[in-house]
Amino acid sequence: MGIRNKLIYLLAILGGILVIRNLNVILLHFPDEAAQGAIYRIMFFHVPCWFICFTAFFVAGVASALYLWKRKTVFDNVAVSAVEVGVVFTITGLITGMIWARIIWGIWWTWDPRLTWAFITLLVYLGYLMLRRAIDDPTERAKNSAVLCIFAFTSVLITYKAIDWWRTQHPGAVLSFRTGGGNIEPAWEMMLLWNFLAIGLIATAVLLIRTNQERVQREVDALRRRVHEL
Amino acid sequence: MLFLRQAWTIALKDLKAELRTKEAINASLSFALVILLLFSFAFDPTAEQTREISGGLLWLVFAFAGALILNRSFSREQANDCLDILVASPVSGAALFIGKAAANAILILAVEAVCLPVFGIFYNVTWTRHPWWLLLVLVLATWGLTVIGTMFSALTVNLRLRELMLPVLVYPMMIPSLMAAMQLTTILIAGEPVAGENMVWLRLLIGFDIIFTALGIGLVETVLVN
Amino acid sequence: MDERNFTFMFYGFAAAWAVLALYVVYLGAREGKLRRQLENLKRMLEEREKT
Repeated sequence: MGIRNKLIYLLAILGGILVIRNLNVILLHFPDEAAQGAIYRIMFFHVPCWFICFTAFFVAGVASALYLWKRKTVFDNVAVSAVEVGVVFTITGLITGMIWARIIWGIWWTWDPRLTWAFITLLVYLGYLMLRRAIDDPTERAKNSAVLCIFAFTSVLITYKAIDWWRTQHPGAVLSFRTGGGNIEPAWEMMLLWNFLAIGLIATAVLLIRTNQERVQREVDALRRRVHEL
Repeated sequence: MLFLRQAWTIALKDLKAELRTKEAINASLSFALVILLLFSFAFDPTAEQTREISGGLLWLVFAFAGALILNRSFSREQANDCLDILVASPVSGAALFIGKAAANAILILAVEAVCLPVFGIFYNVTWTRHPWWLLLVLVLATWGLTVIGTMFSALTVNLRLRELMLPVLVYPMMIPSLMAAMQLTTILIAGEPVAGENMVWLRLLIGFDIIFTALGIGLVETVLVN
Repeated sequence: MDERNFTFMFYGFAAAWAVLALYVVYLGAREGKLRRQLENLKRMLEEREKT
């Protein structure tokens, strides 16, 4: 597994360097925004966190569908790892959002559609992780959690579209591919995407580590069964 | 046609089994009525306040009471290996799913049909201003809850902690349907018809039903077959 | 006002990275545990196969 480990280190280091470079630009080169002061810079972590979260859950959904189709354990390994990474970034996204909201809106939380759906997404995928713990047989666990993962992805889709379907307190769409441009400074949009790449590289490295651990866990379980048979 | 006949047979079987013992429906009905009563004592709302929260209250009651019925859906087949026999039989997984979901939906609708008049009496609220709209909302939302609940009942049937896992998994996924139902019910009980801006909730209900019924039909066989 | 915004901004960044760091630490601990389990089991297997 030499190449795999090297790849993981490479991704993590690249990601790390890019994050430091981005932080440099964000903190030192971007001017303070007129209405919000310094706090708007959280956006450059808040938005990419959610991008990564949605991407992770999408990967999990695809891996689950592939598992149901091909029944190869590697897809199940990727699915659970992607869900864990997704949950980590959901929590991060919610926390950064709450901190931003405290300053801008004066409240930690509100039940507007975007936030409510983000929270529901968290609950649904925590349910996925709970279900995995509750099933002992590996094949049964993989099969049932794959089905749940596909159902769960609908909540991600609704969270994504929430700002289009309802009038929300949460700001509306800003990315150019959603609005046709003009809702956000181009420099900011570029930074959002750069940070998505930077943190995304780190997230991918973490995903690979976790997938490998899942594979080793299966080996350990199989070995344990053999040892107890003897 | 065979599909519909199979689904209908399963639905009839489930309904007959339930009506023989009436366990789940009694528990569900008692639970629903107790919550309605307790809520009335706890908050003693005026008729005006009640109208504002009617949708939320009613659908919380229906969701919790419905979970009792949904839990029994596949777990009743566990005794005597009935589930294995059903899966091995010529009945397709999809027909089994739709049949069970239909039976559950009818049971939950029965509970709702009893709860609404009780609600009207205890809280002094007329809920009959738009009966056909209300019926449509009840049917659509109940079907949404039932489809999710039946699917997850199949998913959790073999778990030790089934009673605990089912609510944990089901309630977050039911929220779109519940939310839309609550909004629409509040509007209808307040006396407005569903129109204009509120149509988005109706569309959400219908969309939810279609998507999750399709997902359920597609995936139930995978869950049940080992 | 700007002072408070700056403090909160740093809290925000710190919180974001803290959650990720916690997860990475958890993964590291898990890795160690898995390795140990693997070695133990391999050893036990060799012992049992010898007898």
